[in-house]
Order: sequence, then C-alpha cells, then structure tokens
Amino acid sequence: MDLLNLAWKNLWRNRRRTLITLSALCFSLMLIQGSHNLSHGVYSSMIDSGVRAGSGHLVVYQQDYLATRDEKLSFAPRDLSAEIGRIAGVQSVLPRIYLPGLAQSSRESRGILLTGVDPVVEKAVNPFLKRLPADEWLSSDDGREAILGSLLLKELKLKLGNKFVVTMQHRSGELVSEMFRVHGVVQTGIKGIDKTLLMVGRERAAALVGMDGEIHELALMLTDQTADNSVRPQLNALLQGRSDIRGYSWEEAMPNLYNAIRLDYASSNFIFIIMLLIVTIGVINTLLMSVMERFREFGVILAVGASAMRLRLLIIIEALLLGLVSMVFGTLLGSLLTWYLVAKGIDMRNFVSESLEFGGVVFDPIMRAAWDPLWMVKISFYLLLLALLAAIYPSIKAGKISPAAAMRHY
Amino acid sequence: MALIELKTVSKIYTLGSQEVIAVKDFSLQLEKGEFCVLAGPSGSGKTTLLNLIGCLDQPSAGEVWLEGRNVATVPAKELAAIRLNKIGFIFQSYNLIPVLTAAENAEFTLMLQGMDKKVRREKVRRWFVDLGLEGLEERKPSDLSGGQQQRVAIARAMASDPAVILADEPTANLDSQTSEELLAVMQRLNEERGATFVFSSHDPLVIAHGKRVVRLVDGHLESDQCVS
Repeated sequence: MDLLNLAWKNLWRNRRRTLITLSALCFSLMLIQGSHNLSHGVYSSMIDSGVRAGSGHLVVYQQDYLATRDEKLSFAPRDLSAEIGRIAGVQSVLPRIYLPGLAQSSRESRGILLTGVDPVVEKAVNPFLKRLPADEWLSSDDGREAILGSLLLKELKLKLGNKFVVTMQHRSGELVSEMFRVHGVVQTGIKGIDKTLLMVGRERAAALVGMDGEIHELALMLTDQTADNSVRPQLNALLQGRSDIRGYSWEEAMPNLYNAIRLDYASSNFIFIIMLLIVTIGVINTLLMSVMERFREFGVILAVGASAMRLRLLIIIEALLLGLVSMVFGTLLGSLLTWYLVAKGIDMRNFVSESLEFGGVVFDPIMRAAWDPLWMVKISFYLLLLALLAAIYPSIKAGKISPAAAMRHY
Repeated sequence: MALIELKTVSKIYTLGSQEVIAVKDFSLQLEKGEFCVLAGPSGSGKTTLLNLIGCLDQPSAGEVWLEGRNVATVPAKELAAIRLNKIGFIFQSYNLIPVLTAAENAEFTLMLQGMDKKVRREKVRRWFVDLGLEGLEERKPSDLSGGQQQRVAIARAMASDPAVILADEPTANLDSQTSEELLAVMQRLNEERGATFVFSSHDPLVIAHGKRVVRLVDGHLESDQCVS
C-alpha cells in the first residue's frame, strides 16, 4: 500500500462523481481529437487539391511575379525542370504559362486566363482534370485543342468541337489572334476559374505571344508535404545562380488558402480552449469536493504523522490518475471517432452545395478526417497538465488543514 | 527526565469576539510506562491537553516538553515527524481510512515511515494476532464492529512503537463489555510491553482501569492520584 494505491482508492470513493468527471474529460478529449483530425483531413485534402491545381507544394517564379502577376515577368527554365525533377522527394514538375486575353465566339466574347500546360504531367496531377474523359484532353503541346471552364463555355455559347478565337497582346505590343477548338470542358466548382479557364498546350501559348521557351510558373509536386523541409534547401541551392527567379512555398504562393486555414484553425483552437477550461473547472470541483468531504480524515492522516506535503502529493496523485485515465480512454475514443471519420467521413451534400469554395479551393462535401497522431498525443498531455493544474488549489487547501481543527469537524 | 512535561500550560480559543479558556496554568509530568487517565466532564480540557501533548496544537502560554524537547520550538515539518515516530493516536470514533483494508490501516504509519512493504505487513500480522484480529486483515472498516475497528486503531497506534499512545475517549462509542475487553488489551500492552498510555475519558470504567488518574475541572488540575 502506498500513496498511489491510496490515491487510486480515494478516486473511486465516490464512484458516480468520478465517473461523471472522467466521462466529461474523455468525451472532451474525444471531441477535440476527432474534430481536429477532421479539420486536419479536410484541410489536407484542400491543400492537396490547391497545390495540385495551383502553385504546387513549392513553386518557382520570376522575381515580383507573385505580387504583380504581370505576364511579362516570365523566365526561361532551360534545364531547371530536369534538375529539379532529380531532387529526392519531388514527384513532378509542372511548367505553366498564364496569359490574360479575350475569347470570342461567333456570338459572345469574354475575358479569359489562358493557361499553357504540358499535357502529360498536368493530366497526372491537376485534380480539375480528374473527371475529364481521356479523349477530351489535350493531345499535344502545340495543338489548337482547348479545354474550357464550364461557365466560360456556356457564356460563349459554345459546344464541344466549336471553334473560337483568342486575342491577346504579343510581347512586341501588337495584338495577336489565334483560333482554337473546344476539345474538353472542366467544372472545378470555383466560379472564378470556371468562368475564365482556358487551357491549351504550353508551346502553342508561348508561340502566340512570342515568349518561346519561357514560362511563368514552375510548380513542384512533392511525394508528400513533409518532404518540403528537405527539398526546399536543395531547390534554393539550384536557384542560387539565377538571380531572376526564386522559390516559394505554397503558403506564400496561395496566401488566401493558407490564411483561411489558419483562421479556421485559430477559431477551432479557441473552442478547444473553452472546452478544456470547462472540464478543468469540473475537475477542480471534483477534487475540491473530495477534499472538503475528507476534511476530518485528512486531519487524522496529519495527526498520525503525515506531512502537509505528503497530503498535497496525495491530491496531486489523485488528479494525475484522473488525468491519465482520461488520457488513455479519451484518446481511445478519439481514435475510434477518427477511424470512423477516416473510413466513412461526414456527408454534407444535403447541407452544402457540391461546389462550396473555401480559400479559393473547392471544399469536398464529404468531409474525411486524417490522422494527426502527434497532435493527439500533445492534446492528451495538455489534458493531463490541466488535471494537474486543477489539483493545485485543492491540494493547497488540503495542506493548510489543521489536524486539531479538522478532527473537531463533523 | 520526564517523558512528557507540561509547564504552566494555557490554551485559549477565540470564538468570534469571545475568548474561551480551555486549559489554564496546567502542569503535569508523565513518565515512561505510565497508564494515565485524564478524567473530567465534557469541556474540562481533556482533549485540548491530549492535542497539546500530541503536538496537534500549540499552547497559548506555557511549554510542552516531549523527551526533553520543547515542542513549541520545533518547526511544523518536524512536528509531523514527531507525531509519526513518537506518538500513537487512538480516537473516539476510530478514524480508520474507509477505503483501506484493516491491515492497510494498521500499516499506514509504517508506510509513512517508509518501511518496506513485506516488513510492515509481517509486523502488522503479528499485531493482528496479538489483538485477536486474525482473519480480518482484508476487511474494510465498514465490515468491522466498533470493537474490531478500535483494535485496528490500536494496532495502527502501536505498530510504529511510539513513545506514548494518546487515546481520546477510546471507549465512548463502545458497549461496556467491548470497552472492558479493549481496556484489558491496552492494560496488557502497558504491562507486557511497557507502552505508555494517556487516556482522556469521563467513563468510570476507563477511570477505574487507570494507574494514575488526573482529574480536571474547567481546564484546571483538580487532583492527581496514583492508584496502586
């Protein structure tokens, strides 16, 4: 028999109260872990979708392009694509051209953003093209085939196979026009993109405005997001000799998405803090009640020779055990919830439209969680810490008991 | 050197704006091996005196000496150690820890002393045999009779071989037969093992067993008699 044993037995002295407190702690931990993992899963999928369609995990731009989006700020990648492709952790390298212009059909005209891509690598990576039938995709770098956003197609009153003309400014300052044929249609769910997207082969796009061999963006897809730490220094080393260009992270390249996620995480964390504070008050109440109930008994324990410090330690150990049990069972429940949310997810299709946009990325209406074990461990230790903090006041109170006064107490 | 010495001790409690004198200018010497009863009606200061002797309280005036040490000069931490190693307590309502078994209750002070589990278990087992508690080791206090609980309390008090055992109205909650048996046990421990007992009681049965009877009235010493 020792203090640990005594603390454990004391914990179960009022079984119902301890179970209620434990339930509050465990369910809070379960909800916090489950909802964090759900956010983590949703954001991971949004980041993945965002980086695939947008900047990549890392991206190379001409200096100042990111701030101005000036189409004149292009650069010649030369052997850079091949060299970057050899870095361990880089899955693919996507050179892209972005050119503003005007698309005209026989009945309408609309402003567009012409995107020149390498058909083979782009099809493998870009999530917008997932549902596009293979025979509707671009067959070459320099063909006249074009993929249009669904709203642009509608506004131009075009159909698959129809011809239309794109007009834009040549590097020389002259206006140039080129005829393309509608070869495929994509629906991204993001209005801004669906209204302006016009995707063609990169070489054709470059030739149109006289920027042969040059690109605006070199997007890097990594094997996974954590590879960023090892790839970034190697990329910077490769770019050292090129003062005209520099590498950016996806957070720098897509600040809207990054800030939207950060804001949402901050509000979630605020709710988690409130939840933890509420359960901490519950723990304080349980421990304090338990101290007050044992006022006389503590007097006896002090009378028979226990020091005030030992009594304080007893209360702390009781809180520690309460915290540890909550940690284990709460994490178990949190894992079960996460497992369900990973496997089944939450189908929001009845509540939100299928093309809900968040931070410039389409929000998948079937929300699925992703495991974040490190965070789960971290938050469970926070819970343990809070249980220990909750024990401070009751333990101080217990340590101040005068044995003679306590034994007069009934 | 006396085991316990009270030198013109007074204890005054403040209740709101009123001062209550529980003990006034009380002096007493207790030697090792005594079997002494502090007798007197309720409110005469018996429990206050036991609390002062047991280092649970400090006198408002005067000095309490234990084995040649003035306890008023001992820091609070050390007072706990004195209570643990020098003093055994037996209370009127037994005051066993309800979540612990009888054996664990008896072992409690030994556990506080840091004694090895096996050694303390064996020590307590011997005390249980001596006190007729064999077979009750694993029972919770709620499963024991009043007499059995008080025997466990005696085992707890005796287990650490204290210099003095202070018993505050130990038979107050027991019937006369159980009280008689319990007093016989304590008397035997006093005679066979030389354990020093100081009781507080107004029970004539306890007073009749005392070898020295110190009578108190309103916090004053009325008489101090040795009974042959």
